[in-house]
Amino acid sequence: MSLFSTLNTANTALSAQQRAIEVTGQNIANVNTDGYSRQRVDMQSVGGTAVPAIWSVSNQVGSGVDADTITRIRDAFLEARAQTEHAGASNLTVQDTTYTQVQQAFREPGTTGIQSMLSDFWPGFGDIANNSTDTGAREQLLERSQTLAAGLHSTMGSLDGQWAESKDSLQTLVTDVNATASSIAELNQSIKSATMSKLQSNDLQDKRDSLVLKLAEQIGATATPMDDGTLTVTVGGVSLVSGNNAIQLAVSGGNSAAEVNQNPAANSIAIVTNPGGAVVRAGGTAAGQMTTMNSIIPGYEKQLNGVAQQLADQVNSVHQTGYDLYGTQGGAFFDDGSGGTTAVTAANISVAVTDPKKIAAAALSPVAANGQISADHAVADQLYQLRLGIPSGGTYTDGADATYRKMIVALGVQAATTSNSLTTQSAVSTHVDAARESVSGVNIDEEMTNMLQYQHAYSAAGQLVSTVQSMMDTLINMVGR
Amino acid sequence: MTRVTQHAVALTSLQGLNGNLAALQRLQQQMTSGKTISQPSDDPTGTNTSMIVRQGMAGATQQARNITDGQTFLDSTDSALQNMLDQVRKVRDLTVQALNNGALDGPSQQAIATQVQGIRESLLGQANLVVQGRPLFGGATTGSFAYQDDGTGNYVYGGVGDGTDSRTWMTRQVSDVEQIRVDITGPEAFGVPGSGKDLFGVVKNVAADVADPTKLTTDLSDLDNVIDGLTTALADIGTRSARMQTAATNNSNQQLTLTTKLSQTEDIDLPKTIMNLQMQQVGYQAALAATAQALQPTLVDFLK
Repeated sequence: MSLFSTLNTANTALSAQQRAIEVTGQNIANVNTDGYSRQRVDMQSVGGTAVPAIWSVSNQVGSGVDADTITRIRDAFLEARAQTEHAGASNLTVQDTTYTQVQQAFREPGTTGIQSMLSDFWPGFGDIANNSTDTGAREQLLERSQTLAAGLHSTMGSLDGQWAESKDSLQTLVTDVNATASSIAELNQSIKSATMSKLQSNDLQDKRDSLVLKLAEQIGATATPMDDGTLTVTVGGVSLVSGNNAIQLAVSGGNSAAEVNQNPAANSIAIVTNPGGAVVRAGGTAAGQMTTMNSIIPGYEKQLNGVAQQLADQVNSVHQTGYDLYGTQGGAFFDDGSGGTTAVTAANISVAVTDPKKIAAAALSPVAANGQISADHAVADQLYQLRLGIPSGGTYTDGADATYRKMIVALGVQAATTSNSLTTQSAVSTHVDAARESVSGVNIDEEMTNMLQYQHAYSAAGQLVSTVQSMMDTLINMVGR
Repeated sequence: MTRVTQHAVALTSLQGLNGNLAALQRLQQQMTSGKTISQPSDDPTGTNTSMIVRQGMAGATQQARNITDGQTFLDSTDSALQNMLDQVRKVRDLTVQALNNGALDGPSQQAIATQVQGIRESLLGQANLVVQGRPLFGGATTGSFAYQDDGTGNYVYGGVGDGTDSRTWMTRQVSDVEQIRVDITGPEAFGVPGSGKDLFGVVKNVAADVADPTKLTTDLSDLDNVIDGLTTALADIGTRSARMQTAATNNSNQQLTLTTKLSQTEDIDLPKTIMNLQMQQVGYQAALAATAQALQPTLVDFLK
């Protein structure tokens, strides 16, 4: 042991403290960086020779400090929790948005929705009943019927528009997911090389973690760390990234909500591997969009089609028992636009009657009315009463109005439930984020305290050098005299 | 001990602020729209009530129209019948006059006959009274006459229905469950047509029989029957008119109830909402101030 070795000890101390201050600087610089995990220099004292030999003996005093390892402070379990919770929150966010848009499409309760159009439509028959030979009242009913049909068409149109929009954004999302997966594969490769050559790759790992979190939100991916430093990213059991390989995904399924309703098995939207075509059970935003396209929107379109068909059946069955102002028996009042009455949907419902005189308001045939055309309004009355429902034994069973109202109420309940779930899920994921942040986040107070510590240690080491120097000076001057 | 970092503090503060702002926005939306329900999810039960009430209101509005319209018909029928009754009474007076003065000379008898004939034509005019394009006493006819001269001086009924088939009635839906008939057909008011004993037949007989007291006596009792018929018809119309008025009162009550109910369901409680808005604003400002205080200082501020 010599004075020179003490100088060396002071030297390691100086560089170790300097390194620590560098890392502190890096932490402070990234205090607001998303996904950054704080780093710490792991200092280790360098001991003397553990096993003595002839020329290698130690005086039991160590020879300084080693500051080679810089550790990323993070909790792998919290990271995994965050991935799951973020995926759940993203899924619910999409569903919540969908419900909000569906509610906007129906515009209830209010004066512009289908309910209000129905409320305008039925009194049209009441006006005809008040004045069955007046073409003005009849013309008005036809206009209101057209408005009602147009209202059903436009609601259907906006649901279709939402569906198409969802499909577009799912396509974009999958393209983005493919790009992210490739980036993770490249990062895996770099991190693997760095690990093999014992180089630090903390910042690359941070970058990779934040990409994985993005994939978790988009598609519900989870990550498993491997021994060689790479991450294996899986989605619903299918591995998306493994080592430096990433597989590509694609969207499969029909092109409209109507197609999904026609054949749910073949036309449901799914995310599949490309090539391969194996279905991937995705979570996150993608799952929310698939729920939107496979159940929410097709579900409401189906119910709205049911309302349109019920309205047509209800009105047609009564209208066909009546006689018009030409004395002929009434035909269909509503049809599917090409004469059919059994496949009426909200998208194709049309008013089959174009001549106001052809509205069959009278119950008496010309034969029953002594050869005259009857001006009675018994059928118009029955049609008007249909607004209360379908008469059955003194009471009324649900008509188109009630069916529609039930649908809107169910929509409201669904939307409120989803919105509540989203609130809960967001709170959970914010808490997980805060927990993750409390482990990996940078605390400026802490960094400042550390900086002071390192600074003091640095000054002390400097003092050590100057002490050794003065000791040497003393020795050399005494000898040289 | 949990580590707290500035970023975490910022995150949670932001979440709190957002929550406050969302609540503020909801209240502000309620204030500006005046409605508590802007979409079904705001209150599904309220939405249901609101939709049922709106439907009920549309029904009540239409029924109010039906009532006004029906009342017009009843009033017109009433005054037509009243006029006719007056004229038939005139015919009766003339008949009695002809009977009492059996020794009236030819020209006087002729004068009575002419007068009765004139009244008969005026009665035809009344019986063919048209309201809103429909002959009042013609039942469900699309034609413009209830009675017509068949060319031989007989007035025949040209309407559809004699009141026995309820499908030919002209009715008005005055509530969801009640219909009131607003017309009365010729055969009901004036007697069975073609029998010679209906209003026009009897009056025609009177004109023809001025000189024959025996026949005139029979005609007089026939005429009394006709007057009875007309009086009954008038009473019938009067009763229905009273029913119509009750219906009108019920209808306006119902409309008021429904409007109140809709307002209770959909409209905001103004003082309550204003109070809530104020409280929320105070809360939001406090949250802003607290956040600004919590986020600013770090150890850096105190190191020299």
